[in-house]
Amino acid sequence: MVTFEAVSKVFTDGTEAVKELDLDVGEGEFVVLIGPSGCGKTTSLKMINRLEENTSGRIRVNGRDIRSVDPVQLRRGIGYVIQEIALWPHMSVAENIGIVPRLLGWDSGRIDARVDELLVLAGLDPAKFRHRLPDQLSGGQKQRIGVLRALAADPPVVLMDEPFGALDPITRDVLQSELKELNKSLRKTIVFVTHDMDEALKLADRVVLMRQGKIEQMGSPEEIQNAPANDFVRSFIGEDRLASISPESSLEILLHDPFLRVAPGEDPRDVLERMEDDGLETAQVVDARGNWMGMLYLPVLKRTLRNRGTLREAVRRNRKLVLEEAVMRDAAEMLADMDLSIPVVNRENEFLGVVTSGSLARLAIGRLSRSRKEENA
Amino acid sequence: MFPPERTFWELFVTYVSENWPRILALTGQHVMISGIAVCITLLICIPLGIYLTKREKLASVVIGVANVFQTIPSLALLGFLIFVFGIGNDNAICALVLYAVLPVLQNTYTGLRNVSPVMIQAARGMGMTETQILLKVQLPLARSVIIAGIRVATVWVIGTATLASAIGGGGLGKLIFAGLGALRQEVVLAGALPATVLALLADQGLKMLQNHFEPRRRALRLARKYAAEESVREEKDVPGEEMVRHEM
Ligand SMILES: Nc1ncnc2c1ncn2[C@@H]1O[C@H](COP(=O)(O)OP(=O)(O)OP(=O)(O)O)[C@@H](O)[C@H]1O
Ligand SMILES: [Mg+2]
Repeated sequence: MVTFEAVSKVFTDGTEAVKELDLDVGEGEFVVLIGPSGCGKTTSLKMINRLEENTSGRIRVNGRDIRSVDPVQLRRGIGYVIQEIALWPHMSVAENIGIVPRLLGWDSGRIDARVDELLVLAGLDPAKFRHRLPDQLSGGQKQRIGVLRALAADPPVVLMDEPFGALDPITRDVLQSELKELNKSLRKTIVFVTHDMDEALKLADRVVLMRQGKIEQMGSPEEIQNAPANDFVRSFIGEDRLASISPESSLEILLHDPFLRVAPGEDPRDVLERMEDDGLETAQVVDARGNWMGMLYLPVLKRTLRNRGTLREAVRRNRKLVLEEAVMRDAAEMLADMDLSIPVVNRENEFLGVVTSGSLARLAIGRLSRSRKEENA
Repeated sequence: MFPPERTFWELFVTYVSENWPRILALTGQHVMISGIAVCITLLICIPLGIYLTKREKLASVVIGVANVFQTIPSLALLGFLIFVFGIGNDNAICALVLYAVLPVLQNTYTGLRNVSPVMIQAARGMGMTETQILLKVQLPLARSVIIAGIRVATVWVIGTATLASAIGGGGLGKLIFAGLGALRQEVVLAGALPATVLALLADQGLKMLQNHFEPRRRALRLARKYAAEESVREEKDVPGEEMVRHEM
């Protein structure tokens, strides 16, 4: 459906963005171009709809050399989701979505019907969203509209340049699933650009891994993962997994065992002694079934014992994080306020571990030394 | 012997009530001179501004020249133009145009230049022709900046047009200069007041135009229109359903 034959692109300033690219995207195939920033993904995509002209080689869409087609006509027949989304702020959602049908001269009744159909498809209530402006939408909604705009005239080929780029991992995941689900019925030929390996592996029929304008490896997600062709591919698969950590990521990788775990029935004087011996400020109280009962703070425990109180009276339960609800940012903020272990539980109140400033620091060191390696490379 | 001393306001009211047809006629002239000047400015500057966005080097030269006209004192410019166009309204209009060029040209140019390239790229990627990109994306996005430039130009023109009579043109300036010559403040006011009101009205009018195009208001209008059409459609639907029921 989309064929690259020895396609190169040299920009006027001499930058060789794409070098001798050969690629054949079959009808109904979902191909994901992936690679580090600047490797030529966007350029490859833009050459398909002639936003950039290839400087050598040949590109065919649906069997026809794109040089023989008027670029305006060519573009109206190819869906395009631009990297920056770029919904026009002065047009309503409906007008944004309906632009290509309007350019193609559909009558307004048909356009309205198509817009509503697409909004419903994306899970957006037409009555509510039709006349909104882009700046009245959330990030995820904007991205959805960007995708709908590309689908409006039902083009057989759709180009998507990091359509879910600037989203939090959860919304991103939802939109990826939606797109995958949607395309089961639409069977579009899709060329999709990303630099997120998880996204590529999740969506692609075929992953095309690029570096410096060339293809390093091409294959199904399984092939890429099971038989990485070289060190670059291997490190890219690995590195990219790490790169997906953000302040919005789950806390899971920060969890570690508490320094002191005590049972609810233990003698508070013993507990105090152990804490003082080991120089610990906190301890976690967990019952036999693994449920979190609360935590102990050294000063509170001391005060309670002075007043001849029980362990139960020394337990505090107001500072904790729930794994399913909290992200790294929350943990970092709590630690900045008070630098003591934070217990993490799941929704069932099962104790999972603690997050400390130490675990955050280790993560930071790992990331710093990794980016150092990248610089040296 | 002397007529009893009259207050300024009495003088003003008397003058106006005796001379209102003349004041009205001069106001009309004033509007015409300013209107023609603004129209010519728009006809020149908006296409020129659009053209200049494609010729960066030329743009800095042209805008530099427009800037120079701006700095010449208005009376001096009018006086100088007597040598070119002779005396009369043509001369005045021409000077006013030279004056108004800068804000309109500059705002058209910068307004268009400030449209994010990404918006244009999206438009091109969807298959708009260059003309469609200009009309559907660039101009609408630059519109409020352009209208702001027109507002400034219009207010200046209406104000400066009072000087037109100094070089043999018409307009409310005649009253002002006559009043100054005769040391009759009420006559000066009879000229200055309508000129001020005109400027304020024009400014407000253009501001309303600016607001009218504001995307949020437009979206609301669209929504309302759509809702109205919807209800019309529903009303039409009702008899249709009844007919079906009858047939059954
Ligand atoms: N108009 C241009 N003129 C000169 N060089 C360019 C131009 N556009 C892109 N390049 C260069 O071509 C190379 C490939 O750019 P491209 O935008 O295709 O990268 P990308 O893989 O999409 O990166 P990213 O993931 O950051 O979007 C880069 O080195 C870039 O600097
Ligand atoms: Mg890119």
